[in-house]
Amino acid sequence: MPEAPLPVAAAPPRTRRPGPPPLVVFGFCWLALMLAVALLADLISPYAYTALDLRNRLSPPIGFGGTWLHPLGTDELGRDVLARLIYSIRTSLLIAFGATIIGAVVGTTLGFLAAHFRGLVEQAVLALVDFSASLPFLILALSVLAFFGNSMVLLVCLLGLHAWERYARIARGLALSAGAQGYAAAVRQLGASPWRLYGRHVLPNIASTLIVSMTLAFPEIILLESGLSFLGLGVQPPETSLGSMVGYGREYLTRAPWILLAPAVTIVLTTLSVSLIGDWLRDRLDPTLR
Amino acid sequence: MLRFLLGRIGRAALTIAMVVTFAFVVLRLSGDPAQIIMGADAPPEAVDAFRTAWGLDQPVWVQYFHYFGAILSGDLGRSMRDGRDALVLVTERIPATLALTLPALLIKIGLGIPAGIYAALHRNSLADRIVMVVAVAGFTVPSFVLGLLLVLVFAVQLGWLPSGGQEGWRHAILPVITLGLGGAAVLARFTRSAMLEVLGQPYIRTASAKGVPWRAVVTRHALPNAAIPTVTIIGFMVGSLIAGAVVVESVFSWPGVGRLLVVAVANRDLAVVQCILLLVATTMVCANLVVDLLYGLLDPRLRSAPRRAGA
Repeated sequence: MPEAPLPVAAAPPRTRRPGPPPLVVFGFCWLALMLAVALLADLISPYAYTALDLRNRLSPPIGFGGTWLHPLGTDELGRDVLARLIYSIRTSLLIAFGATIIGAVVGTTLGFLAAHFRGLVEQAVLALVDFSASLPFLILALSVLAFFGNSMVLLVCLLGLHAWERYARIARGLALSAGAQGYAAAVRQLGASPWRLYGRHVLPNIASTLIVSMTLAFPEIILLESGLSFLGLGVQPPETSLGSMVGYGREYLTRAPWILLAPAVTIVLTTLSVSLIGDWLRDRLDPTLR
Repeated sequence: MLRFLLGRIGRAALTIAMVVTFAFVVLRLSGDPAQIIMGADAPPEAVDAFRTAWGLDQPVWVQYFHYFGAILSGDLGRSMRDGRDALVLVTERIPATLALTLPALLIKIGLGIPAGIYAALHRNSLADRIVMVVAVAGFTVPSFVLGLLLVLVFAVQLGWLPSGGQEGWRHAILPVITLGLGGAAVLARFTRSAMLEVLGQPYIRTASAKGVPWRAVVTRHALPNAAIPTVTIIGFMVGSLIAGAVVVESVFSWPGVGRLLVVAVANRDLAVVQCILLLVATTMVCANLVVDLLYGLLDPRLRSAPRRAGA
């Protein structure tokens, strides 16, 4: 390549889009860190999350008179806040991932069923959508927990029902408009089964919109789970989650605020990161917004 | 117009019927309702009397209609903690909750909507960026964290305000701010995107191209159209006036409906939970009905169309 100045026409303007803004990069980094912590919890945790250190109860974190023995301090029973934080991140992320996937699968399936069968099935799905819209999700979740008691599986399934109606609406709307387009009709004419039509042809075409909805639902589920656990009605001891740590730390708000602040900051940064990524993805991917 | 009205009212009634059905099914699935509602240590003759009173010795379909009838006549069972009528127990708590949620609603609307409109009209300005950062933060900071931080600063460190309880208006300040700020952030974000969408429409360009002053374009053309999606979310906020403060009431030990619900769930006091569930659903459905009717006023096109096909 000669160093001589090139004519303008020879250097076509690069149409590459600019990279993600710094806040989104931060979001990806933080999320990667959280995933690493969740996956490697057993390796990196300094102590077991239930281990007691009765000689160092309520010891403050480093920078506030604490020692490297317990970098983020300890709680009333001398349990290491960092270790509990690590396991809480794992629990909260696991629940949020499971619930997000359940919601997306259930909602999308019902949306496709409505679009495929129309008629009575569609009316039933729409009535269910109305039903979920008529109850604030927290109230619904609390009632189900009251009726059935609490277990981890129930909690994940319950949170999975959050936002299913959004996926159902999107999947139904987009499947209906896809059905009116040439490709779906062509595949059907070629004799493809409904499974193949929706799974191999319609789904990939609407996947970006669904992924954006998942990114937007994920932080909401983290907030719901931490809210329920904060109230003492979500994740039950000895298991620990970010919300239940805050709920526990609340008792020591004046004497040991670090018990509460560490998980609170983690919740905020995690939901913030996923929200930023979700907004950015929506602007970039979602064809319905262009 | 009458058809539109009747259709909407019918849909609302159907939704409430579904919530009642849901409560019925869940109650039946979770075990013997007589035993659960009366409590494990209730005398057998009381349980039998309850069975007969609620028709639990009858086939499921008959039971279902009996259940429906009992709920329509306002018989929602008794709290298993003190044997008081669940409906009375819940309605007693409503004023305390409204004392928090009504002022909070005013903050949400008074702060959120103007901020959203201003941000949209000055897109990409410094003010817009500040509003958006605050709005995203307001969405991502859970209300219990915000509430506890406010307690830490204003009650523990500065000692200006009480940290909890319900003795006077000073006790309501922190919970109202906690509720109001979070909602204002959501509303600002929503209003902003609704405004931006409207401002990009061809009729706005037409109006300004034909020389309508910008102020008039905004007030006469943009705001009424942007109001439609915003009214939806305000309707949701009005609908959750009774139950929208579950977490915040718990943070501030405020004796409202939300606190009652949490205690009832922890004690599995099913009659009270069921009563709150039905009350909240009814409020929500009524609020949604009003929103639907407002749509009809705001957007004449929706009066005839039964339901939009898309998402």
